[in-house]
Amino acid sequence: MNFWNKIDTLDRRWIYLLVAISVIVPFILPVKLPVYVTPETQQLYDAVENLPDSSIVMLTFDYYPSTIAETEPMSRVALHHLFRKNIRIVTVTTVPLGGPSMAEQVTREMAEQYGKVYGVDFVNLGYKANYVAVLKGMGSSIEAIYPTDNLSTPLSELPLMNEVKNYDDIDFIFVVADNGIVDYWISIVNALYGTPVGCGVTAVMAPKFYAFISAGQMTGLLGGMKGAAEYELLLGQPARATTGMDAQSLMHLLIIGLVLMGNIGYFVGRRQKGKKA
Amino acid sequence: MSGMEIFVLWLEAFITLAIFSFLYKDNSVYHLVESVFAGLSAGYYVGLYWKSIILQQLWEPMTRADNPKWWLFIPGIFGLMMFTRLWPKYSWISRIALAFVMGSTAGIFLITQLHGLVLPQMQKTMLSLINSDGLEASFLAVIVVIGVISTLIYFYFSKEHKGFVGVTAKLGIWFIMISFGAHFGYTVMGRVSLLIGRVQFLIEDWIGSF
Repeated sequence: MNFWNKIDTLDRRWIYLLVAISVIVPFILPVKLPVYVTPETQQLYDAVENLPDSSIVMLTFDYYPSTIAETEPMSRVALHHLFRKNIRIVTVTTVPLGGPSMAEQVTREMAEQYGKVYGVDFVNLGYKANYVAVLKGMGSSIEAIYPTDNLSTPLSELPLMNEVKNYDDIDFIFVVADNGIVDYWISIVNALYGTPVGCGVTAVMAPKFYAFISAGQMTGLLGGMKGAAEYELLLGQPARATTGMDAQSLMHLLIIGLVLMGNIGYFVGRRQKGKKA
Repeated sequence: MSGMEIFVLWLEAFITLAIFSFLYKDNSVYHLVESVFAGLSAGYYVGLYWKSIILQQLWEPMTRADNPKWWLFIPGIFGLMMFTRLWPKYSWISRIALAFVMGSTAGIFLITQLHGLVLPQMQKTMLSLINSDGLEASFLAVIVVIGVISTLIYFYFSKEHKGFVGVTAKLGIWFIMISFGAHFGYTVMGRVSLLIGRVQFLIEDWIGSF
């Protein structure tokens, strides 16, 4: 049995071991491979950068805990950028599992760093069920959909929410999501109310949204951990996404190698079978 | 770090490693953690929906002293009707509520999908091939137009894929394959990112806390 035949019958656990090594090693011996910024990330960064002081941005936490490796760094870079520019933030989530608590935890942690005050500089509206009704309803009145914030404080008692009645008072929507809700932020909110929408999505979802960028329906896109790393680079604040990129690159090289080996093994096997016949 | 934070960190590390243990071999620790996750999620959903829907969106607006929305009892009854599915003899009652949901959802989605997705995407596909933005933009416009037409022809089944139609459909397959390739590449990147996130947690947060 030659090498290529052995590959055919290789125990898959050897591949898992190779994957584990190629992910762990870059954290112990970082190579710091360069990350370049794609036009889509630059577009999102510029859209936020060009917002005037004291603008109001709606930031969404539309993701489940299972994807925080990709999405939480996006929320953090968004919060860094927005707080740094003194932009006021209204956070919402349409995801019940994890979304509300992550919005609360991450936003308060970042707000503390920048000395921002709850109710004045930022508000967390939390979760409401039935996202289509929520997205449409906020176009008429946010208070009708969210009579209270995430911690049950009436919106009338929060100074920031006295200025925010519906999408007309929102200058930009920064969606961070890991599911199909992004379609509705575009097809309902952007299309019906004209509020510009920029998105950070998981890598699995990203290819779909290039068409929306080209059509001008979306202002900028962050695709997965790479997108978050690019934004960290633009902000000059390397964090978890940047440190993860070495492992990401090494893993991609490994997968390319495995795909090539698998294909060569297949063709060699087919040739040998042809000779025998 | 408080005692509770240390406990949560170790618990998180144990659960992560327990899930990864499945990669080596199916085992009872993996099944225990999997069951805990399923049970916790179900409990969390019940609690969350009770609070955010039944209490906040139905009971409280309906019973408040100032301007009560008493008419909310109608959707409330519709919700209760859905439970008749538990008794086969009366399950037909649930179809009334279901018909309402289907009708309203179809109405909302028809407008939003058409107005927000289909029409703008179609509009941006109808490009001028001689673009004032330069040669590169013109080249991309030609690719978009050829890609859209050839892919649509591939899905046109009322004429046999032979001759000109066959060649165009074959070109359409190439565009579809390139699109699949991009999706696959991004999917790999996404899955790897999730693994990196867990490894990052184990190395930087858990082992880093020793």
